[in-house]
Order: sequence, then C-alpha cells, then structure tokens
Amino acid sequence: MLKAIGGTALAASLAGCTALLGDDESSQSEGAVDVPDEPVQAGLQTFTEGAAAVLGLQTQYGAELAVQRINDAGGVAGREIQLDVVHEADAHVENYKQFVDEGKDVTFGPTSSGGHAALAPEVENQGVVNVGTDGTVTTLYEETVPDPTYSFRFQNHDVMECVAAARAAVDRLGADNIDTVAGINPNYAFGKDEFSVFKSAIQKLTGAEVVYEGYPDLLAEDMSTHITEVNDKQPDVTFSSNWGGDVTTLLNQAAANNMFENTQLVGSVLYSAVNDLSKDVVEQANAVSGSRNFYWGEPTPSRWEPGKQVLQDARDQWDIVPSAHFMSGYGAVAAWATAVEKTVNLVGGWPSQEQIATALEGHGFYTPAGYHVMGQGHQGLSNAYYGDMVWDDDLGAPALENISMHSPPELAPPPGTTASEWISSW
Amino acid sequence: MTGLETFVTHTLHGIQYGFVLFLIASGLTIVLGILDVLNLAHGELFALGAYVGFTIIGYLTGLVAPPTTLSTQLVFLGVVLLGAALTAAILVPVGVFLETTFFKPIYGRDEVYQIVLTFALLLIIKDVNKLIWGPSPLRLQDAYGGINSIPVLSRVGLTYPTYNVVIIVIGLVTVAGLFWFFNRTKTGRIIRATAINREMATAIGVNTGRTFTLVFALGAFFAGFAGALALPPRFASLDMGANPLVLSFVVIVIGGLGSLRGAFVAALLVGVLSRWAIWQYPPAELAAPFAIMAIVLLVRPEGLFGTWGEMG
Repeated sequence: MLKAIGGTALAASLAGCTALLGDDESSQSEGAVDVPDEPVQAGLQTFTEGAAAVLGLQTQYGAELAVQRINDAGGVAGREIQLDVVHEADAHVENYKQFVDEGKDVTFGPTSSGGHAALAPEVENQGVVNVGTDGTVTTLYEETVPDPTYSFRFQNHDVMECVAAARAAVDRLGADNIDTVAGINPNYAFGKDEFSVFKSAIQKLTGAEVVYEGYPDLLAEDMSTHITEVNDKQPDVTFSSNWGGDVTTLLNQAAANNMFENTQLVGSVLYSAVNDLSKDVVEQANAVSGSRNFYWGEPTPSRWEPGKQVLQDARDQWDIVPSAHFMSGYGAVAAWATAVEKTVNLVGGWPSQEQIATALEGHGFYTPAGYHVMGQGHQGLSNAYYGDMVWDDDLGAPALENISMHSPPELAPPPGTTASEWISSW
Repeated sequence: MTGLETFVTHTLHGIQYGFVLFLIASGLTIVLGILDVLNLAHGELFALGAYVGFTIIGYLTGLVAPPTTLSTQLVFLGVVLLGAALTAAILVPVGVFLETTFFKPIYGRDEVYQIVLTFALLLIIKDVNKLIWGPSPLRLQDAYGGINSIPVLSRVGLTYPTYNVVIIVIGLVTVAGLFWFFNRTKTGRIIRATAINREMATAIGVNTGRTFTLVFALGAFFAGFAGALALPPRFASLDMGANPLVLSFVVIVIGGLGSLRGAFVAALLVGVLSRWAIWQYPPAELAAPFAIMAIVLLVRPEGLFGTWGEMG
C-alpha cells in the first residue's frame, strides 16, 4: 500500500492507510532539502452558517481532518499546516484577497458555484494556488478560466454527476421504462445547469419526454406547487439537484403530498442532507441519490477500510455522518499536500506557487474515497457514486445501498470537448 | 389527478401560503401602522420564533406518545400547537425589551435612525440565534409527518397535507381574533385611536408609551407564532428571516402601508395568485409576488386599503 500511494507517510496518512504501514518509515529525505520551519498557512472559505452550512461545515470538518492527519504524520515535508476557516458568504473574491494579504501559502474553497466563477479569475491574477472544494459549475474551466494556472478544483463537476444520475436512473428502471421525466431544481445557475445536463443525457439514453420543470427558490419554504404538478404529470423519473436544507423541505413536503407514489425521485446530492432526514420520509421516498466522488461505504469496508475510518472519525469528532462535501474539503487539502511533498523532493526545497501549480497538473493521489487525478485541465476526476437511499437503524441516518460506481471516462467529456457536444455525440 | 383536483389543490396551497404570509406580515404592519417604524428586524423575530419553537415543540412532543393512533395523533397536534403558542408568548418579553430599550429613544427622529437601528438588531438577533442554536440548520423531527398522519382531506379523496389544513384554520382564527381585538375591545380601540391621532390620544389620557410597548410586543408575538408554525415542514436556519421580511414588505405595500385589513387581503392575494402563476408558468416563481405588487400599485398607488387605524 505504501508504494501504491506514492511512498510517503503523509500520502499514506491522507489515504487513511496508516494502520497498514507498521512503523513509520518516515516521510522521505526531509533533512536533505531546504524547507522553512514555520507552519504552512492555509485558508479555507466555505459556508459556516445558514442553510448552506449543511454543506459547508462538512467541507470544513473534512479539511480539518485532513490537516489533523497531515500534522500527525509530521506535516508537509516537515511543516505543519495551520488552517484558517472563514464564512464564504457572498464575498469570495474578498475572502481570497484577504487570505493573500495575510500571506497564506494556499487557499481552499469555495462551495458556491457562482462564487467559484467569480473567484477563479482573481486566483489567476494573484497567483496563490487555490484548490476548489466544490463550486462545481461545469463552465468554470470551459469558459470562465479556460487556461488556468493557479486555480484547481477537486470535486467532480456538474456534468459528471448529472450524467451519472441519468445512467443510474437507466440502470435501475431500464431505458424502456422511462418515457417521461420532470425536474424540481433550485432556481439559480446550478439548478438550471444540472437539469439541463440531466435532461440531455436521459433523452439521449431513453428518448424520454420532459413533462415538467419547476425551479423553487433557494430556501423556499413551500415547494408544494411543484410537487402537485409532479403528482399531476406522474413522470417516470423526477430529477432534483436540491441540496442541504432544501432536500429536507422537498422530501418532507413530497412525502406529505404522496409524490413518491407517482414518480421515482433521482437526486444528484440528496445525500447531502444525510444528517437531517427522518426515517419515515426516507422510507417513503425510496429515492436514488448521488454522492459525488465519495460515499463512506464504498468500496465496501471489507475491501477498503479508510472510508469506514472517516465515518468513525466524523462521528467521534463532530457527531455527523460524512457526505461528499466532507470529502470535498478533505480531498482539496490532500491534493495540495501530496503534490507539494512530491515537489519538495524534486526541487530540493520548498516549491514556488508556479512549481506547485505545475505539480498539481496531472497529479494522482489517494484519499479514503479512492484514487483521484487532478486533470491537465485543472479539474479533479474521480469515480462518482449513486445508490438507493435507505434508512440504516444502526447509523440512525440514511445510507446508500446497491451502489453504482461510474468512472470519469463514462461521465466527463474528453479534453477539448464541451458537455453538450459530447452528449450530442452519443 | 383530475383538472378540478389540481385546481383545488393549487388553490389550497395558495390559501395556506397566504395565511403564513399574513401571520408574518401582520406584526410588521401593526408596528408600522401604530409606531410608524419599519422594522427590518421583523424577519429575525420570525427566525427567533422558529428556533425557540424548535426547542419548545421538540421538548413537548418528546413527552407524549408517538402519533400512531387517532387519539395520540390529536394529542400530538395539540402539543405542537401549544408549543407554538408558548413560543409566541416567549417572544412577548423579547418584544417588550427591544421596544423599551432600543426603540423608545428614536421615536420622532429621522427615519434613517430607524433603518440603522433595526438593521443592527437584525444582525444582533441573528448572532444571538447562532450563539444559542449553532450555525447548522435545525429540523423538527417528526412533527410534520405526525400531524399529516391525521386523515382529514384524504377522507374526501383529496391528497393534501393535514398540517396545511391546520395552518389555514389557525390563520382564520387569528384573523378573526385580531379584528375582534381591534374592533371590539377597549385596548384595541385605544390602539386604533393612537394610530389615527397620537396627540389626541395623549390628550384624552391614553398612555401612548405603554401602548407602543404593547403594540411592539404584539408584533413580536405574531412573528414568533409564525416562525414556530412555519418550522415543521421545513427547517430553521440563520438566513431564514430574509425572504419572509421581503415578502412581508410586498404584502403590506399591496395592502396599504400599515393596514391590517389590507395585509390580510394582500397576503391571500399574493399567496393564491403566486401559486397559480407558478402552476401555469413555473419560471415565474421569483417574480410573481413582485409582479402582483407592481400591477396593484399601477392601479392603486396607495395600496388596496388606506392607513391602519381608520380601516382596522
């Protein structure tokens, strides 16, 4: 395992494999390179309050766990990491500038797609590496910053999870049984992009007709009009990219209006509300949910222990079940730390921002979610997970069953191809 | 679903949403009508109601049997409503404290002081909520599902959540109670008199200072009541006060600034028309309430009804 993950204690620790290492074989030849003594200063911006904190706090905790493991393993080339966390609010550029002014060595985040689109050009201007946690808008590296240097993103982008959703729906229901689809998605760019991609993909895979598109506002207290329309149209599949608290509202109100008797709900991030859903609603919904690039139970713990260990750590330290957003924080830190440690050995000292950015391109690394590659286009590429959301009495929360795993080549357009061109070519 | 069922269901959604809006906007319009203060912190009092409701209703429902039979379901419903009423009652001293400590010194001063003060209170209450209940959204387990398990409209073949029926009934009772209070009770008439002519009311011996405190407490009561009742189908979060505040402004502008009757009519109008608009054209979700406001203001720039006291 040590060799497979790159041969360092830090990489092994971040993969969650320290238990397999035996005695510490030590990081590498840290004494032979010129590395500063002072800790690495890192900044993370994510949603630490409000409805979006359902995602943001998971990201924060994931990043903090990665930092704990790095520091416990002796730091990045011997340097510990000190992580500052700020509320991203609607101040993504300002937060990043503040981090740069404070002399941060690296920055992570944000969670918001719109915020990421605003932030990425500033990252290119300032030249301090930012590894995005989420902010998964597909056009980030297609249109907003088509030739990035310092901006990276760990989590899979929207196209990947929506194509995975379409494939998961077809896997479960069969293409011949999906004639009509509907969507209830959040009323902003993310929700509209997600349904647009899902719609294109499912139409290509099944020829289904779209019978309803509803876009409740973020934090809408009432989604019943959309639910009634789904009940009226009775589509074979209803897709939702609602996340966090809006998942809770949708599922509660859908259950109250018997929507689940009339359609199969498929959601890209329903599992993001894992800690807020109740047993009766989960059992009525029988929904299919995505979990981006991480589900703690897959690969199964008997084959891959680190996922279960993350679950245990998250429960012990924060009393939560980790969602994919937990891994967004963890993975962003892991990507940067493993790339830097590799580069320290190559350049014989602490690398510059340019050298770190170069090292991150095409960088492969392990986390408890498995193996990831930071693509040449600065987009992280990982397997995507979908499963049937069921209630787990032992967990006291929903779990995913009958997991389907999709690899990046199944989900992402080839380099140089836009999502619409790619899906049209199927 | 038949066409009629769909129409009835959408209309019921609109009426229920309208009553929720009225419960929120009633406090805002009463305070505006009497105190002449546009309280930007009203949405945060609504959020505070949801958080307090989370604690109280959560505690009380934990004391009774799970709602599995009709009798336990009815007890459960009673406990949830009791919790909402207690929550509203707790908001009364909060309102008294805010009015006597912060609002009294700024009556009669330039409106910019009101804006700065109430915006500051908005931020402070939000931070207090965060300090007490933490940054994560909170959901009231089982209350919504428990009440919905009581069969009401399903008996006549209509799929419609019982909790929403309860909101409509509570809204009707609240409206009737408010109009009775302001039209038939001595205290209500004193409040109306103060709204119509503050100097005259003072001259005939009305303690306007105490009246103002009572009115603000009443506004806080209804904000808290609305927050607690809004909680079961959704969740409490630190940013939940913003949308209700904006929609309350829409409602009181349509109804006529400070008019309670106007707020009632406007709330139902916004509730029903916006649900119908979404039904017919889903992308209209965000714009519908504001489009209704724009149309009403084009026809009646002063809103549907006049000022509060005379039209109570």
